[in-house]
Amino acid sequence: MRRIFQVGGVEAECWLIHDGSRFILNTPDGAVPCQLDATGEPGGHVLRARGVVQELRLAVGPDSTFVHLNGRAYEIGRVDPARRLAGSDGGAADDRIVAPMPGVVVSVAFKPGDAVKEGQPLLVIESMKLETTLSAPRDGVIAEMPFAAGDSFGLKAVLAQLAPEEK
Amino acid sequence: MSISKLLVANRGEIAARVLRTARAQGLATAVLRHTFEQEGPAHLIADEVVTIEGPTPVAAYLDILQIVEAAKRIGADAVHPGYGFLSENAGFVAALEQAGITFVGPTSQVIDLMGDKVRARAFVEERGFPVAPSAIEDDDPASFVERARAVDYPLLIKPSAGGGGKGMRVVREDRTLETEIETARREGERYFGDGRLFVERYIERPRHIEVQVMGDVQGNVVHFWERECSIQRRFQKIIEETPSPALSPEQRLNICETAAGIARAANYRGAGTVEFIYAPDGAFYFLEMNTRLQVEHPVTEMVTGFDLVAEQLRIAAGEGLSVSQADIPQIGHSIELRICAEDAAADFRPAIGDILLLDEPAGDGVRVDSGILAGGKVTTDFDPMLSKLIIYGADRAEAIARARQAVRNYVILGVTTNTGYLDAILAHPRFASGDVSTGFLAEEAETLTTPGDDVSDLLMAAAALSDERLVAEVMQIPAMHRKMGGWRN
Repeated sequence: MRRIFQVGGVEAECWLIHDGSRFILNTPDGAVPCQLDATGEPGGHVLRARGVVQELRLAVGPDSTFVHLNGRAYEIGRVDPARRLAGSDGGAADDRIVAPMPGVVVSVAFKPGDAVKEGQPLLVIESMKLETTLSAPRDGVIAEMPFAAGDSFGLKAVLAQLAPEEK
Repeated sequence: MSISKLLVANRGEIAARVLRTARAQGLATAVLRHTFEQEGPAHLIADEVVTIEGPTPVAAYLDILQIVEAAKRIGADAVHPGYGFLSENAGFVAALEQAGITFVGPTSQVIDLMGDKVRARAFVEERGFPVAPSAIEDDDPASFVERARAVDYPLLIKPSAGGGGKGMRVVREDRTLETEIETARREGERYFGDGRLFVERYIERPRHIEVQVMGDVQGNVVHFWERECSIQRRFQKIIEETPSPALSPEQRLNICETAAGIARAANYRGAGTVEFIYAPDGAFYFLEMNTRLQVEHPVTEMVTGFDLVAEQLRIAAGEGLSVSQADIPQIGHSIELRICAEDAAADFRPAIGDILLLDEPAGDGVRVDSGILAGGKVTTDFDPMLSKLIIYGADRAEAIARARQAVRNYVILGVTTNTGYLDAILAHPRFASGDVSTGFLAEEAETLTTPGDDVSDLLMAAAALSDERLVAEVMQIPAMHRKMGGWRN
């Protein structure tokens, strides 16, 4: 099975297989026979890979896996190639209001289905203790408003989406 | 004037830390919680949790009327402000006073005095304490440039209304002085709505050394020795320690007695910190006085053995300090690391996420003052500091070794933190030798954020094998195909 992992901003396409006796992860840098066994402590595992036995702590999030290994914490982004393809028609760039910084939504002025005019304030966010008003990039109809007042969002989260322009 | 019920008008690790002492002293306790806010350790310690509302969580914690009303409603007879938020707000102190509630901190007059940089500086200078040579525009605007020139280079231009390093400009040559003054003025107007300036002699390679002081209503003032806080990013401290590796015993006594003298001159009551700029030649100059408990107060507690919050509560209740100067020792060495949700490799950008796994270090000389719980969310509603790791060692080398071990064993998974960056600082030879200044992190930025050994294959193997869906899919593939290795769908 194919997966794309992202470590330190670098994407790598990998294949995981099982040859009947063990797992092998085929990475761009070669095949890594590997085995992962849980230990007693929360998130505790022992990883056997490339001849090394390594204790680690691990937590699986919705889009990333977090690993604490040898005194350091790492985030490994997981990209499902199938989902990536399906998600690529996410609309034109000017249909989306993307978060410039992580923050929290202070207020939301519209709901899906509402018509908005270019420049109309759509929502107010607070990032790094500063309030910012985000406005409609063009006339249109709100397709998605995924966050409510009080919700937190990450960097580059889509805060509002307009319905595609009719051609 | 004894205290029976204390409201902590703060959140996060400091609320939890204050509540622990208050409970140990047998006080009834309460703490605030904004409607949007995650449950934190403080909410589990307090007897009572008071919900506050506001357009943003920060606005609610700054809402004087609402907080004073809450204190009255629950029958609190004292309020501890922690640090930040309303801790240095004279209006808050006055409002509590009017409601007959004790503020655990100094008087509003002292807060007002020390809150005004230029006034505080003049107060200190007039009483004969050292300040850097300077020129203040307001004294006589017409001769400002001339007077600035007379201070001599290098100069630091600062907005009078400033703070946090905004609008500060270093001038090394006379020919750029006037243009830099105009630039600083525009920045001051933009950031603070106030273009007034002052200049100070700029100290090259400065250290930031501060002294913990405490005074009581009886007029006693003592110091609890110094803290070295030169490890800063974006003008904010991330590692503090005591004793300072820079000071000789004579210099230490001199700077600590100077701080106590300033506090005495101000009739200081409660816990406060006098901050100094310390030059490589051993000269030191008053920078400002913080009229509250500092984030980094635990290192002082570790080497003196005193609970500073307990002393604050005693003083607020009108009792005298429990000690005199001769009984305050400085034994061993302590280091504090501020654990922050931020990406050190991306200009310290705040990070958010869910705390999926949390395992705090423990052991000899390890103290954790934490504001987070496993299962909680880290948002940008508040400051990115999640917790503080405080280490004690018999000497500096032992403290550094223990700190490295503890920070490497601090497991926080689900949000990016600076634990790896803090470890890199502790491991740096310049930190080990004590050869640092406030510019250290910027000078060593590249070395400190260099990734370690490439373990990406191990990480990807762990991510793949812990992905239950992926493993299930792989195991469903018929054995015949498995043997073929490069099976594709």
